[in-house]
Amino acid sequence: MIAGLLLFLVLPLAMAGGVYALRRWATLSALLSVGAALILGILIVVLPLGRTVELWGRQIVMGGRVSLLGRELVLEETDRIAIAFLYLTAAGVFALAWRVSPGTMLFPVGMGLLSLFSGSLLIRPLIYAVLLVEVAVALSIFALQPEDRGPTRGGLQYLSFSLLALPGLLAIHWLMGRYALTPDDRTLLDASAVLLALSFALLLGSVPFHPWVASVAGDAEPLASAFVLTVNNGAVWFLLLSFLETYPDLSAYPGFATFVSGAGLATVVLGGLLAASQRRLGRLVGYGALVDTGVALVALGRASQEGLALALLVLFVRPFGVVLMAAGLKGLQSWGLREDRPESLRGLANDVPLATMAFLVGGISTAGLPISAGFAARWSLYRALAPSNLLTTLFTLLASAAVMVGVWRALSLLVASPASSDEGVGGREPRGARDWLTAGLMVLAVAASVAVGLFPQFLTSTAVRLAGLHTFIVR
Amino acid sequence: MPLLGDLLARLGSLASMPAVVGVFVTAGLLVVSQDWRLNLIALAAQYLFVALLMTQVVRLELAAVKALIGWLICLVFYLTEQQAQSLTRASGEPSDLALQDWFAGRLAGWRRQGISPRAAFGLMAAMLVAVTVYAAASIVPLPQMAEEFILACYLLAGLGILLLGLSEDPLRVGIGMFMVLSGFDLLYVSLEPSLAVTGLFGSISFVIALGMAYLKTLEATTGEEDA
Repeated sequence: MIAGLLLFLVLPLAMAGGVYALRRWATLSALLSVGAALILGILIVVLPLGRTVELWGRQIVMGGRVSLLGRELVLEETDRIAIAFLYLTAAGVFALAWRVSPGTMLFPVGMGLLSLFSGSLLIRPLIYAVLLVEVAVALSIFALQPEDRGPTRGGLQYLSFSLLALPGLLAIHWLMGRYALTPDDRTLLDASAVLLALSFALLLGSVPFHPWVASVAGDAEPLASAFVLTVNNGAVWFLLLSFLETYPDLSAYPGFATFVSGAGLATVVLGGLLAASQRRLGRLVGYGALVDTGVALVALGRASQEGLALALLVLFVRPFGVVLMAAGLKGLQSWGLREDRPESLRGLANDVPLATMAFLVGGISTAGLPISAGFAARWSLYRALAPSNLLTTLFTLLASAAVMVGVWRALSLLVASPASSDEGVGGREPRGARDWLTAGLMVLAVAASVAVGLFPQFLTSTAVRLAGLHTFIVR
Repeated sequence: MPLLGDLLARLGSLASMPAVVGVFVTAGLLVVSQDWRLNLIALAAQYLFVALLMTQVVRLELAAVKALIGWLICLVFYLTEQQAQSLTRASGEPSDLALQDWFAGRLAGWRRQGISPRAAFGLMAAMLVAVTVYAAASIVPLPQMAEEFILACYLLAGLGILLLGLSEDPLRVGIGMFMVLSGFDLLYVSLEPSLAVTGLFGSISFVIALGMAYLKTLEATTGEEDA
């Protein structure tokens, strides 16, 4: 009998090695990555928890507790949804990367990251989860770095900021352990609350620790940065929820909700301002993601089941915006956008309409405009916020509009006539920009984003269910 | 690991204030110096001093393992720099430089040019951070730790963050990260001396070292000095 949860640690790791060995055959390695991520993402949802099933002639049991190298691994319902989100998002990123960014290190590194993130969700106690997340962050640098350029700032900044979060998160475990023994010593709780806020602000890229977000999106491989901003970021969110669930005193800490809302609002406002003034497509993706993080924090700051469900919904729909924008950007780069400068954008929409469309639809979703995947979460948040906090609602709305302004400015350049014959297309041979498979994948991704915008019920109900499984919410 | 354990045991008399001074000197050198050979020697020495300090709170073997991990990272960086040098070396430059030649060259350079503006700025910033850290160590004490320990933790973390902020070269950024990690490890090893945590800490360090080596090699291959 095989403990099912081990599959999610061992298989992706084995696949990472295999995919790396097969890197020369770009299509094979990409399809293996897509297939493995997709199958594992579906399996974790389909296989019943706590029951033995027979798969490929072997008995597999999901759930329960497994001891691995002296550490305890536990699979619960919350972990299943979280792992499914990570794997299915990764499958989507891999599928797009197959056509627009073949042969990239994202495939082997991404599979390795999935194994580490699965481990971080399953392992107990939380200090090991923190350490696994840090290993994953350090590993991400291999995928983020474009192979044809010198070292970029994005990966280094991401690693530096994330590493600074490590001491705080490990110290919380020790401080809360002491607090459990001496509950009268409030300084332990105060220190833990401060460390929790600082550490997750660093990891999530909340203001004032936001510079890495734009750097990663601006100069790293577009789809690898999208992976970081969706899968890695998702794993960090689930880690935050695990901390709050494990240490309810921290979620009940006086001022917790106000602080989270405040940090979220600051992130939304700054992200919106920077997005509206941004003329580089890569950094625009980053600022869009920053606004999205801010919105999720504002939702979490409501300190209610509804707020938590909205924060999770924002997280679930993020890939439909950020990944599409990144795929569009990579498509534009493949055609001839050699440098992410406004002058280079002129007239590119005529040459690569599908990549432009992907960027536009992704941008609309990231901005949270109607008939887009991002709208369902934003609209629900506006409705929940407006009666009690009109100012926050207004700022969140304005930030959404600001992201759209940034997207609109980029689009106006993309559809403009080239100023001279040597601008726009950089003279590079297009790579897979017009083949039917790439076009089909782009159209499919755009259609999926619109479909989720029109029928968000599945994601909404999943977010509500996941929120209901968390018990740390105090009111 | 009897040899390494013996070495650390013999150096046990240094495992207090002298080790803290050693940490300060090596950390300061890492911030100020741009010479990769000097930096790697300083980093290796720093790992020894950190391990010496650790022997006060954990078993000798565990401290020796930590030192060994640090020295392996130094080795990775050394090989990477060698590789980068061979990729970017000007055709007229000798392929290998004897240690005494290198040292004589450095001395001659210092005599001729004095301290560079960059190094002067680094020195000033390091002094400012050191003063701040000294003040912070008495104002914000860490639980269950001796004063010199706290000072070493804060020095490593403070100067490591300074190095992170000042550097763009992947290996120097990596050294900054390792200093921050060492500073925290010094505190955390007494709270959680488990082998699993030590192993995962080592994994993080190794992946970072490999990542930085990868970036450095790419820098040398693509010929880009600045990110």
